Formats: sequence, C-alpha cells, structure tokens
Amino acid sequence: MNAVDVRDLTVRAGSKDLVANVTLHVEAGTWLTVVGPNGAGKTSLVETIAGLRRVSTGSIAISGQPLASLSERERARLVALVPQRPSIPSGMNVKDYVALGRTAYHGLLRAPSAGDRAIVDTVLERMSLQEFRDRDVVTLSGGERQRMVLARALAQSTMVIVLDEPTTGLDLRHQMDLLELLRQEVNDCGLTVVATLHDLTLAGQFADRLVLLDRGEVILDGAAHDVIRREELSHCYQMNLRVIEIDGSDVIVPVRSVQ
Amino acid sequence: MLSANPPTGRRVIVVTLLSFAGFVAAVVCGLAVGPTSISTSRIIGALFSGLGIGHSTLTPLQATVVWQLRAPRLVLGLVAGAMLSVAGGTYQGVFRNPLADPYLLGVASGAGLGATFAIVYVGHGLSTPPWTPLLAFVGAMGAVVLTWGLGGRGLRATASTLILAGVAISALLTSLQTYFQQQSSVDSIARVYIWLLGSLATASWSSVWMVTPYVLACLVICVAAGSALDVMSVGDEEARSLGLPVGKVRVVVIAASSLGTAAVVSAVGLIGFVGIIVPHILRLLVGMSYRRILPIAVIFGAAFLVLADTIARTVMAPSELPLGVVTAVIGAPVFALILTLRRQLTQ
Repeated sequence: MNAVDVRDLTVRAGSKDLVANVTLHVEAGTWLTVVGPNGAGKTSLVETIAGLRRVSTGSIAISGQPLASLSERERARLVALVPQRPSIPSGMNVKDYVALGRTAYHGLLRAPSAGDRAIVDTVLERMSLQEFRDRDVVTLSGGERQRMVLARALAQSTMVIVLDEPTTGLDLRHQMDLLELLRQEVNDCGLTVVATLHDLTLAGQFADRLVLLDRGEVILDGAAHDVIRREELSHCYQMNLRVIEIDGSDVIVPVRSVQ
Repeated sequence: MLSANPPTGRRVIVVTLLSFAGFVAAVVCGLAVGPTSISTSRIIGALFSGLGIGHSTLTPLQATVVWQLRAPRLVLGLVAGAMLSVAGGTYQGVFRNPLADPYLLGVASGAGLGATFAIVYVGHGLSTPPWTPLLAFVGAMGAVVLTWGLGGRGLRATASTLILAGVAISALLTSLQTYFQQQSSVDSIARVYIWLLGSLATASWSSVWMVTPYVLACLVICVAAGSALDVMSVGDEEARSLGLPVGKVRVVVIAASSLGTAAVVSAVGLIGFVGIIVPHILRLLVGMSYRRILPIAVIFGAAFLVLADTIARTVMAPSELPLGVVTAVIGAPVFALILTLRRQLTQ
C-alpha cells in the first residue's frame, strides 16, 4: 500500500515551475529521500506534500486521501512536517513545545487530554528528552533542538513524516544520531518518511529509496546504488565528483577541478 | 519569583491570587476614594449587602454617590481595563509582535476621526454631543474594515501586510482628523483633545450597559483563543502544518479584539499603554503562554485601569488628570523596567 501518491505534480511560482510534472509513490513503512542541488525543487516538493504549498496541476494523496479535500486538522493527522528552519519560541518549555503536535486532536477550546499528555510523555521518552521537559526550548543545543522538533512531529501520530533538511546545522555525530532515531521509527513503528538531504552519502545509507531532482524534474528514482552514479550526479551538481564504495555503502567525494 | 525558565504552575497560581487581591483592592478604592469621604468598612458592608449579606450602613447621600457616580465609573473602568489588556495580548500573539497594541489596525485613528467629526460638526464645537460614542465606534470599526480590505486577502492575510495596511490607514485617518481640527475653533480643539486623552468621568450606567455586552462576548472569544495563539507562536506555516486553521483564527481573534476595543474606546476615549504594558508584565511573571497570560490579564488589566483612574481623579482633586496621561506616566517607566529585567534574565 502506498502512503504517499504524487501524480503529475507541478508547482508554480509566477511563471517558473518549481516542481515539474513529478510522479512519485512511497510505500508505507519506507523511507524516501529527495536529493539534488540547490534550487532543484526539493523543498517545494516536500512542502507541497505536507500541504503548505498550492498544487498548480496534478494531485497528491496521503494514505489514499486526496490532500486537496482535507482541512488543516485532517491533514495534520495524516502528515507531519519537520521544517528546515523550525521556529523556536522563547519562553516555552520542551514538554509544551512537543505537545503542540497534538493540536489537531484536542480542538482549539479544549486543553490536551490525559491521552494527549501520555503520548507526549512517550515521545519525550523515545527521543531521550525527558530530562529536558521543563527546560526553555531556547536553552537546548542544536542536536537537542532537532530531536525536540522531531518529537513534535512524532506527537502528531501520523503515518507520514516529511522532513526538510533535518540535519542542517548539526555536526556529524548528531546528524548520524538523528537519522538513526528516524530509521528506528521506520523499522519499529512502520513510519513512512519523505525527507530531503544535502548529504548524498548519508542519504544513501539511511533511505530505502532515493529520488534525484534537478530543475523540478525527477532525473533518477531507485535504490541508493542506482541513483548515486557519478555521471548523473556530476551533471546535476555541475562539478567533478567520485563515488567510492566503503563497507558496501557509496561514499561521494567532491574533487577539485583545478589542482 | 522571576527566572529565565518557563514558570511553574505554582508561580502562575501565586500571580493569579495576587492579581485577584489587586482586583478587590481596586474595587474598594474605586468606590471608597473621592471627594465625599466614605470609610472602607462602610463600602465593604455595602458590597456585602448588595450580595444579600448583612445591611448597608451608607447614608442616602453616600449611597447615591457610591451607586450612581462611583459604581458605573468603576465598572466601566474594570471592563475597559480588561478589554484593552486582553486585546493587547491577542494582537501581540496574532501578529507575533511585542509592540502590537489594540490600536494597531487603526482603531484609535478611526475612533479619533469619528469623535472629532462629532464634536466639530455635530456639536459645532460647543459641546461633546451624545452621538460621539456612536461615531467613534463607527470610525474605529470602519478603520479596521479598511485596513483588512487593504492588507488582507481574505483568510490568507499575513501579519506583515495587515500591519503595513494599519499604518497606512492610521496615517490617512489621522490626517483627516487633523484637517477637521484645523477647520474648527479653539474650544472644539480642546474638547477633541480631552476626548482623545481618555477619561472615565462621563461614565454612567447607560454607557456601562452599552459597552459591557460587546466586551464580555469579545473577552470570552479572546481568552478562549489562548491555546491557538500559543500554536501560532511557531509561525503561520508551522502552525498550519500542526493542524491550526491560521486564517480563520486570525480573522476571529482580530474581529473580537477590534470590536471589543472599539466599544471601549467609544465610551472612554483613547487610553494608551494599558494594552502594551499589562501583557508584558504578565509575560515576565507567568511566561509566554497566552493560555496563562490572557485569563490573568482580565483581572490584572481591570485592576490596573481602575487604580490608574483613582490616581487620575484624586492627585489634583477637585480637577481630574486625563486617564491616558496617568497610564502613560505609569506605563513608560514600567515598560523601561520590564525591558531592563528581561535583558537581565536573558543574559
């Protein structure tokens, strides 16, 4: 069963096609990562899947339900977003921030229920955030913040999570930690992940499938080994690079053209 | 009591209880303080007798002063203080701007224009006619509608376009008001200024009944929106991704805040600073959550304005200071203190 169905999707800004005629199907319980150079349309594509951008032509369905027919509340129960630059409101504690993920469930005039609070506690536990629950969100480190934003998305209890460059600003260890946590959610809970990543090596190691996007169009779509290919990547990124295999994983190494 | 960490539930309870104590003190001051000396114990006895407990010991003259002069002024002050404080909080939340106040979208300039028109052309500068509140109300709501028409795109209005539209409409209406004033006599200019600076001196039970139903309905809506405003603190796009219908919430909150503010302004004139400093004081005490700030702002703001009015009518008795001047004189240093404390807490 497909968790995400994108058919002939075009997203326009003025006369420019940010996403051009893209068709994608993401099987439930799998991880798809969209890669490509800056301006390829990765963010536009995932933001449209998350319902934040208008579809110009084509359609998107989440768990078989057409996105266009859903209200904000209905959509937020099906797909959660981890934005590239999440807003971290000063003065809010971690527990309240994660509880924002329950907005679509408890209504505007009612406080979170005991069930909502239990889900928040569980997610804080899973993301190893219990010790920070009463801390002001702005006092967390970059890695802790990203875990907290991921926790908010998990608190939405959706089948699909969309992440736009979730490792931005993190050091290598924290990038690995975050992606491991996410992989664990896919393996253990059957979560479906649609993410964008700049780091092709990490993208290849964690995702079940990669989509290479350039100028809004899908160039390659398949398993990591089928997408991480020197010629296509060099052409898309307009640079010289090598693909080296280490312990069964493809590692991408940029090479200076002028030595 | 103050710390950089978000507040505990205990701190919120303490602030709520202190605000309630201030509210009770404001009620007693509002009824007891004035040119006719009435002891606090008699006022408390009269309040209890009004609740069916014990007997009032007020003389007939004192009873008239308390119930016909001071009580409507007190109630109007409580209602106005609560509404301006809560509207300040909701505007700051909905626009994610700490400098937002209830006059941001042109309520003040629209009401000022309406009142100036009433005084200059309906009252011919000789009086402040009974039509003044109605024309001020129409002006205030008209300004908000114009601002929304210019800066809004239905439910897709953004905070920045609305703020810019509010600036433009305010400037336009203020220039019209200045033109009307320039065309009028010195007497009418004085009347316009008295109105603009705000006062509770003309409060009566009829003005209380006229304003209170609007304000109560608007207060209920605004306070209930606290949770939604907390969600909006992460920005429009993230709030939408969390399931909040941001456009609808913005329309409802702005409509309720503006209607309540317009009703208050039409009765008491322009009273500045309340809508800015009360939410900021509470933010310092109970944290950033609008779920906590807005309910406490109802009683804190009500008490604040009545105590300011008590100062306005006693400090230079028998003449009165304009209430807007008193709130500004209190508000400016308090605001400076808040900024200093906030800077110390964040360092």
